[in-house]
Order: sequence, then structure tokens, then C-alpha cells
Amino acid sequence: MSNFSKKFAVLFVIATLALIAAQCGGPTPTPITIVETVEVEVEKEVKVVETVEVVVEKEVTVIETVEVEVATEGEKVVEVVRPIIYNSYNSDPEPRAFDEKMVALFNERNPDTPLDHSVVQHEDFKQAIRAYLVADPAPDVMTWFAGNRGRFFIDRGLIMDISDVWEEEGWNEDYPKGFRAMSEVDGKAYFLPSNWYWWAVFYRKSIFEEHGITPPETWDEMLTACDTLDGAGIIPITIGTKYRWTAAAWFDYINMRLNGPEFHLNLMLGNETYDDPRLKAVFMKWQELFDHKCFIDDAAAYSWQEAIDPLAQGDAAMYLMGQFIMDSVPDDVAEDMDFFRFPIIDPDMPIGEDAPTDGYFMSVNANNADGGKSFLRFMGGVESQTMMVEELGRLPVHTGVDEALFTPMQQKGLELIRGTDLVVQFFDRDTTPEMADVGMNGMMDFWADPYDEEMLDEIILDLEATRAEIFDSE
Amino acid sequence: MAVTSPPVRTKSKFDPTPYLFVIGPLLLYLVWIIGPMFYSFYLSVTDWDGISPDAKYIGLANFETLFGSLGKRRTSPFEYALVNNLKWLLTFITIPVAMGLGLAIVLNQNVKGDRFFKVGIFLPQVLSLPVIGLIWAWVYNPRDGFINPLLTSLGIADPPSWLSDKELVIWAVILAAAWRQIGYIMILYVAGLKNVDIRLLEAARLDGANAWQAFRHITFPLLAPVTTIVVVISVIDSLRSFDLVWIMTKGGPANSSTVLAVLMYIQAFNNYKMGLGAATAVVLFMISLVFIVGYLWRIMKDEMEY
Repeated sequence: MSNFSKKFAVLFVIATLALIAAQCGGPTPTPITIVETVEVEVEKEVKVVETVEVVVEKEVTVIETVEVEVATEGEKVVEVVRPIIYNSYNSDPEPRAFDEKMVALFNERNPDTPLDHSVVQHEDFKQAIRAYLVADPAPDVMTWFAGNRGRFFIDRGLIMDISDVWEEEGWNEDYPKGFRAMSEVDGKAYFLPSNWYWWAVFYRKSIFEEHGITPPETWDEMLTACDTLDGAGIIPITIGTKYRWTAAAWFDYINMRLNGPEFHLNLMLGNETYDDPRLKAVFMKWQELFDHKCFIDDAAAYSWQEAIDPLAQGDAAMYLMGQFIMDSVPDDVAEDMDFFRFPIIDPDMPIGEDAPTDGYFMSVNANNADGGKSFLRFMGGVESQTMMVEELGRLPVHTGVDEALFTPMQQKGLELIRGTDLVVQFFDRDTTPEMADVGMNGMMDFWADPYDEEMLDEIILDLEATRAEIFDSE
Repeated sequence: MAVTSPPVRTKSKFDPTPYLFVIGPLLLYLVWIIGPMFYSFYLSVTDWDGISPDAKYIGLANFETLFGSLGKRRTSPFEYALVNNLKWLLTFITIPVAMGLGLAIVLNQNVKGDRFFKVGIFLPQVLSLPVIGLIWAWVYNPRDGFINPLLTSLGIADPPSWLSDKELVIWAVILAAAWRQIGYIMILYVAGLKNVDIRLLEAARLDGANAWQAFRHITFPLLAPVTTIVVVISVIDSLRSFDLVWIMTKGGPANSSTVLAVLMYIQAFNNYKMGLGAATAVVLFMISLVFIVGYLWRIMKDEMEY
């Protein structure tokens, strides 16, 4: 081979290495935008002249001033403003619009601390959060859930202590004690609850009226309602279990109504065992709903939104869902919607409800901690909370929000929760992610064949084995 | 110096040029492929949760968890994944391959409008897998979809519920994948058929061979190199399947349509069990290795024969 090609080869290799090196030393993927690059040399020169003119008598001072100015004259004064990075999971249209509106408002008022907002699809965000939190620099502010889901990261030292924000903004007094309690670990606040919603059985008023059904208050009334509707060719209850958690709501409620919310919460925390006979009773109770043909066929074929279609089209009557179902229901159908408390099974049991709370937290690696905190101050204040009530229909956490603003439905939701003995978050928020995964798989197996009792026993065995592995080792 | 150099290359002198050319890609390969591969091996013997700074060595416990879950009455997620990957693989190296070959042969006979059909059949290949997943999820939708309303209108009272039936669901997903794969394989075979010497076929016909005999003894053996490529592509595509399952079913109902890649993702990124996820990845790697080694062994044997 000739000399020429050897030289070329060496050059090629060097170029490749240089390219790789350049890649390695390049910027990290998280955007750091340089917002203002100010070169102020010219202005400063003018200023110097002015200073000299004005302070003619005090010669000493003048000299000092001039010296100082000269020293900075040659350098470029570069001011780097790091934007506040805010990642949110508000990907459904209505929450997204509200989120973007708030960001725009914040940016309008704080032109010096721009906020960089990105929205990630809700389900994907849940997976991506870990990558965000261990990244450096991490996003400053993120949306997240109260309960075990938040605790996992707090325990690993990944979340910033924002007790100072709570203190300075007076939220320790303005926010209800329960919400303060769910935000703190060992007396320090890590979470800012922002909004919460209630779960209930949502139904079509017109269908109930047509078939002479009043909202069921007891389990038997519920089963009767199913019979009536099924007899009339209406799907009593619609549900889409493709993403599984919709089924978990039924588990939560039947367990709380049958065994009490205390037992349910302890089960979620791993303090009660899954092979407890009370647990099998939950599934046997659940089976009664299948006996009475309460549920839509092929539930697993639908996502939770797809299962709204039959409700919207008037083919189905009820859907156990959080208040956010109203975001996805067409306007004309929304007028025909109402909700009722999940029926009582055992009247002697205290009443528990699912009322998941969403909010914000900050990464301990936040690059712009001050900026992030100022955004939290903005979002946690009365003004933002009031806007959230008006535009999104969720319930606020701040007690300063005027209750007169609440719609009748919000008033009713608030009443529902106030008449509750214990509020829990939700199945997959109250227990660990792995326990929730195994639990929801069990529910799906049960759903596929609710009458396979041997299968049910195996499901319960697997659940208990998982619980023991996760909680007993701690 | 160059003037007097001998015309015949001597083998005794070491020439570093080719290696210099290779260094760049090799470094990238080491950093992006080999490195992470060994890192996965390492993770698979730990209980790392993906966040904590340190991971504890736990030996083969992750693999025991996986393989210990086989054979129970209530099928474990790992068993579903393993069996589904196998179903996928076996289906993929038979049905789409046979259909692709058949279509290629038919469309190679100067059929009228063959280009139109070729383009039409190849078209799904240009769609990304998530798009195909969304299309087929709709096709299978029992209420607003394509198949079931059609079946109902044809008088079939209780059509199957494709994506919520534990037995049926994986086949429904594989069908969607095969739909995409057929066009690709057809194109590969069409290209291969162009290289089959027409005179050989004419000679065979003169000797009295019928169409099947000509195909069996002339065309198909001559297509052997293409077939090897097609089989390898099918094996790789079936083992790396993730997108369609994720979009269409998320592995459900109750894991009955999960595959190893989906299971790995859920374990690692949903359940915070990086170790177990890595162990699943290693199992997937081993299965791939069996096929890849088999393939390489065959290729090398062929090369030595020629």
C-alpha cells in the first residue's frame, strides 16, 4: 500500500477520534439556554466619562471609579440565565391547556427567570421520572403524586426539602393539616399538593330516570340496578382495563366497604397479609357483580378513555372513575352526568374513599433551585389555586380559595369527601410499584375468569409471596 | 521507493492500515454495544433498584426467580413471555416467509399490475411499528373496530374478543406483525429471483420438469442465500418485538400477550427491579445467541465449501 493511503488512513483515524472526543465533551442533553449575552463595553465607557464630569471635586473617588471601570472594560460581561425546567405529565387536553396557561402567565410576570416547560404523556412520565431524578442537571420542578409513589424517591434522598417555601408562604396554616401531613417526611416538607379529586360511580341521569333507578346506596341496590339495566339491554357498568388501574379502583372500594379503610390501608402498607380470609372475601364479593352481569364485555380490549364511548353513546350507564372523567366526556353528555358514592356493603364499617392528590416536587439536583421554588410559590398561591378550580374543576388544597366558586358538582364532591372517615390515595399510589404491578396482574387474571376458584387461590398466594418479599425484608 | 516495489504482495509484512480504519467504529461498538452488554450481565446478578448508589451482589437469585416461576398452574409473566417469544419466532420463520416467497414468485411472472401489488404489499413496511399497533388496535376494537362489526353484520352473533381473550391475544398481535413483515420478505425474494438464471428454468422445462419440480430443485436452491438472510431477519425481528405489544395490549390481559422485551421493561422501569430486568435481558440474549451462532456456523461452513 502506498504512502499516500497510509497518511490518509492515519488522518481518517485522527478525525474519527476527534469526533468522538468532541461528542464526549459536548453539551449534556438537557437544554441549558443562554438567554442573555450582554456586551456592555460601550455603555460603560460613556458612564465613565459622566462619572468624571460629575465628581470633579472629589478626585480620589474619581480615580477609584475609573480604575474599577477600566478593570472590567476589557472583559465581556456575560450573564447566563438558566431557565427553570418544569416537566409535567398533564398530557390530557384540558389539564395540558391549563398547565400551559399557567406557565405562560408565570413567564409573563417573571421575564428574568424564564420557565422551560415540557409535557410528557402521562403513562410514559411515570417511567421517565427516575431518569429525570438521577440526571444531572435534573429538571427543577416536576409533577408527581402524593403517597407511596412520592415516598419512594424522598427516602432515596432525591427530592429537595421545601420546608422553607411552606414556612415563608404561610402554607403551614393555609393548607389543611392532612395535606401538610401527606407532604412531609420526618417533619420536613418535600411535596406541594396542588389538587385532588374524588372517585365515585359516575352515571347517566337520563338512563337512570328512564329505567326508574335511583342512585344505589347499598350493595343490593347496586346489584338490582345491574339487573334492571341488563334486562333493558343497557350495559350497566362500562370499564376499560387495558391499563389495569381502573380495575384496581373496584378492589380498593370493595375492600374498604367490606373490611374497612383501616384494613385496606394497612394492606397497602404491607402490614396485613394477602392470605387473610378477608381478602378472598373481597374477590367473592366482586364475583357477585359478574353474577349480575354488571360489567361490559371485553373490558380488557379498551383503554379507560375508549370505555367512555359506550357511556357517551348512551349504551352504558355507569363508570367508577375519578372526577377527571368529566374532562373526557363530550359537553352535551356532561350535562347528563352525575355521580354517587360507592355503595355501602357493611353499614357498620367506617367509610373510606379514594381521593388521589397530585402536586409538585423538586429534584435535589435542581440546577435552578431558587427559580423552581419561585414557581412553586406561584402555583401554590391562592390565585393559581383559584384559577385551577375555575378552569379545571379539580378541588384545591389552599383554604383561601373561595368556596362560592365551586360548581354544584364540586360542592357535591367536597361533601362526599368531608363525610369520609379515611381518605386514601389509590391502589397503585398507596403501595409499592412492584406490589401494585403484581396486584393488578392478579386482578386481571381474576377478571378473565372470575369463577376459577383454584386460580383465585393461586393469585392470592402469589400476592402474599410478593408482599412478604417486599415488606418483610425491610 | 514506490518505483522498485515488487508487484506481488508479500504476506510477511504486517500492514496496519485496515486496522486503523476499523478503530473508529470499533471504539463506538465497544462503548455502545459491548460495554452495556457486559454491564447488563453484571446487573443481572445484583438487586439494583435503578436509583440507589450501590447494588448488592445476589448471585443467580434473579435467574432462580425467573426459572422458578415456570410450570405453575397460574402461568407466570416470565413463562408467558418465553412461550410468546417462541410462538412469535416459529410463526415468523414460517408463515410470513412462505407467503412472502409465494407472492414474490407470483408477482415475478409478469402479472399485469405487478408493480401496483408489490408497492401495495410493501407499503406497511414504511409505517412505524407504533402506527401499525394503533391501526390494528382499532381493527380489533370489539365495539368501534373493523373486524367485529363486520362479523356481526354478517350474522355471526358472538365474534371473538381479540385483544381481551387470553388465548387469542398473542396471535392477534403476531398477525399484525406478520402483515408488516410479508411485504419486506416479498421484496427480498423478488430481488433474489432476478438473479435466478432463466436459462436454467428453460432447460429444466425442456427436460420435462413441471412447475413444482423446477421450483423445488432449481429456484429454491438458488434462492438459498436470500432464504438465509430472510430467516435471520425474521428471527431477530421476532425476538426484539416490543412496540406492537406495548401499543396494542401493554402485555395484557394479565400478561398473556407479554414478550421478554416488554417484561424486561416493566421489571426494570416500572417495578424498579433493574437486576431482574437485566436477568430477563440476559435470557433474551442467550436465546438470540443460539440462533446467531447457528447462523454464523452455517455461513462459515458454506464459505469453506466454496
